[in-house]
Amino acid sequence: MNKIWLFLMCGTCFFLFFKNPDTIFPTMFASATETISLCIELCAVYTIWLGILELIDKSGLALLLAKLLGPLIKKLFKTADAETEKLIAVNISANMLGLGNAATPSGIKAITKLDNKSGVASPGMIMLLVINACSIQLIPSTTIGLRTTAGSNYPADIILPTLISSFIATGTAILLVILCQKFVNRAHK
Amino acid sequence: MPKVCEQSTQMSGYILPFFFIIILVVCFFKKVPVYQTFVNGAKNSLQLVVSIFPYVCAIMLAVALFKVSGLSLIFVKLISPVFVFFGIPPEVCELVLLRPFTGSGSFAILNDIFKTYGADSYIARCACTILGSSETIFYVATVYTSQTSVKKLFYAIPVALASSFVGAILSCLLCKIM
Repeated sequence: MNKIWLFLMCGTCFFLFFKNPDTIFPTMFASATETISLCIELCAVYTIWLGILELIDKSGLALLLAKLLGPLIKKLFKTADAETEKLIAVNISANMLGLGNAATPSGIKAITKLDNKSGVASPGMIMLLVINACSIQLIPSTTIGLRTTAGSNYPADIILPTLISSFIATGTAILLVILCQKFVNRAHK
Repeated sequence: MPKVCEQSTQMSGYILPFFFIIILVVCFFKKVPVYQTFVNGAKNSLQLVVSIFPYVCAIMLAVALFKVSGLSLIFVKLISPVFVFFGIPPEVCELVLLRPFTGSGSFAILNDIFKTYGADSYIARCACTILGSSETIFYVATVYTSQTSVKKLFYAIPVALASSFVGAILSCLLCKIM
């Protein structure tokens, strides 16, 4: 993250320095202000979802999800902790339903549980991150809604392509993580 | 930048309330104190948002500067030949490239595409499929790692970018044949 940020900030500031130095600070302030309003919105959304998540947890539905997805999670994340497993199960199911914002709180909780405090990302953490970064979408409700608004005649005809391509993209991601991990392990030996 | 109020569309219009009712009914039968449980979970939200705020702010700053500086356009111009080579139409290259950085930005691009090419055109369908099958990778990476001790992500971001790229190529291909 450090390198990417440094690259982006340096590159853009350097570029703007010669082109239009007046815009650097106004842009920064504007985006920081935008972040605040975004965070207020996020806070509202998280309040609702965290509340519902707690209900899902206490009702035993999370346990059910964890049991359903358990074998898969154990294989992919190599975690033995039941609590983490539950969180990951909720995270992945929320992602599949296209509820990115509902997935985030449980995802953050899960990844902190996977953290071994060494400052280095464990394979399980990378796996969770990557799966969240190319989530499987069963129903792309957002884009369907946008197409309807834009006057499409068949707004739902993108469901199948989206499903297949997101499925394969996530599959590729999982495969690549496993391969990279093997490579890293070998390099360590 | 991320999808905050995207969930109020027709499909999820039925799905979400349905799930919510199921959850509540199960809670009722298991005699879970619904009100206290909800509040108990919900009270962590402010803390969560406060703790991710600086991370989100940092990434928003970088993305805003990236767009304002015009560097994003140069970036798009430089890389789009590669995309065209893989069968991604040049009209959606900008979308594929900016998607990992900004959610709201890519939805703005999608709207432009709708206006220019029509919502039922091949380009628009491609764009929708690409958007639906990808995520704002940098935002996800920042927010998810913000609460951990992690400083090095190793191959996480390259892997995520590569598989999104595979997803984008596939999206365009699938939209052509379906």
